[in-house]
Amino acid sequence: MEEEEKKYKSIDDILPPDLIHRILLKAPAKHLASLRCVSKLWYSLISDPQFVEFHFQYSPAVTNTFIFIAKGCVSCFVDLDALLNENNDALQVKRVSPPFKMKSPPDFEVLGSCRGFVLLRGRENFLVLWNPLTGSSKGISYSRIASRCKNKGYWILREFLVYGFGYDASQDDYLLVVACHDKHGQAHFNCLSLKTNSFIYFDAAPPKPLGFYNWNPRGCSLTALFIGCLPIFKITGMLFFDLKERTFSMISAPEQMLISACRSPGLALLGGCLAFYYGNLDSIITDIWVMKEYKVHSSWILCQIPCFGFRPLCLTSDMNLIGKANGVYTESLLPLPSDIKDKDEKEEEQGHQFLHEFFELLDVAKGSHYEGFKQGKNTSEQLDTWRKTFEKCR
Amino acid sequence: MGSPLKKIMLCSSEKEIFSVEEQVMVQHSVIINNMIEDGSYNYEESKIPLDCVDSKTLKKVIDYCTYHTHHHNDNQEDLEAWDAQFLNVDSNGLYDLLMAANYLEIRNLLDLIYRTIKNMIKGKKIDEIRRILNIKDHGFTPEEEEQNRKEYPHFY
Repeated sequence: MEEEEKKYKSIDDILPPDLIHRILLKAPAKHLASLRCVSKLWYSLISDPQFVEFHFQYSPAVTNTFIFIAKGCVSCFVDLDALLNENNDALQVKRVSPPFKMKSPPDFEVLGSCRGFVLLRGRENFLVLWNPLTGSSKGISYSRIASRCKNKGYWILREFLVYGFGYDASQDDYLLVVACHDKHGQAHFNCLSLKTNSFIYFDAAPPKPLGFYNWNPRGCSLTALFIGCLPIFKITGMLFFDLKERTFSMISAPEQMLISACRSPGLALLGGCLAFYYGNLDSIITDIWVMKEYKVHSSWILCQIPCFGFRPLCLTSDMNLIGKANGVYTESLLPLPSDIKDKDEKEEEQGHQFLHEFFELLDVAKGSHYEGFKQGKNTSEQLDTWRKTFEKCR
Repeated sequence: MGSPLKKIMLCSSEKEIFSVEEQVMVQHSVIINNMIEDGSYNYEESKIPLDCVDSKTLKKVIDYCTYHTHHHNDNQEDLEAWDAQFLNVDSNGLYDLLMAANYLEIRNLLDLIYRTIKNMIKGKKIDEIRRILNIKDHGFTPEEEEQNRKEYPHFY
């Protein structure tokens, strides 16, 4: 046939760049890193900052991807949605090399994540912003925070009482907010702009009184708004820091919350909603309060997981609640704020061995999820409640 | 919206005329829908010239729109099976369809083709992707190519 003799043409020659652009926009961020090497045209399309920004906006809001660090020696990011849907895609779990030496126990911890960046804190006094997808990282100056801290030296950053990491779309800037005690035991808030790598003065004072004892909350970000922390000795509410307005505000806790029985509280984003969870000592279960509508007090909904010490991670697309691990992570190829690039030497990936290791890791995640629902009497009812709650939210 | 019985004429790049139920094209193509709605199409005389769509591709596009108009109540699996069969074409055919769907703004066909191309290259190594998409001249200088291969050996 004539057609068979026809010479096949290259996609780059046939399609106008804007159509290729649109195809690439559909590709998940993790694939883009390799697609950049397909051709010069693709490279320039994908490397365009506008494309990166647009891709980030365009891609589904939340990918439930997490960073797991096992025994300090292996870290990988795992796309839980893809994995649980048994989508046989080798890229659902990928080994990454954090900008710290891997050792056991880990030399660093994850403080938070925002728009594809992960904020890490090393033991030896430093903060590092890291994009696991591109491998680039950047150290963050914190000397002013340190100079105001009560204790000098090795463990200074342990003194952070609360911290949060978020993005201010109006200024295209990333903000790191930390509070720590000064020499007189007074709590101070510091706000660091990562774009300029300098501190921002803001006179907004957090509502008082603030008690921070035994409390190590994790910040998380909700669109442009930064959820700072729970200023809590007695849990009465949650403290928010509005990234755009640079002001603090409080959201009070649900009235029915059992203050006396509350242990190890934390914040999470579940299906795009703010959730507040804690171990309920009275009935040895985990209470998860979900704020269906942001800042609407009457929209708190209680979900109880018949398992103590459950730390919710995410809600997958098929409404499975997954719990237990460190840090939340969304993928992106965004350049670092002031574009300091530090190319890590990537370790040779040893596919098979690695696969084995991360599946072991994932059993933990999966296990706690199933455990969570299996132990209760009303398993299916519970699941229904969850589904209903979140279907409404979406 | 036009009546289901009315026909409109589409003219391919080879000047071949295709007569299609108006409803079929109006439902799928944003461009044709606009033309009919704003009255710029004259049923007696006009034919819509599609200079960048050849007859073979136009026939496929019309097949797609016709099938999806008449089978939109079918279950999802059957439709997907039909779509997969429909897009069982060589890469040139696929690009032609993409261009036509883009030109006529047939959104569900566009999405289908984007998805298909995405799946064709999903999880593939770069050398494979280049073969699948017929990218012979990738445009990198030999040095850049070597550098990339050295830096990201696992991509290739």
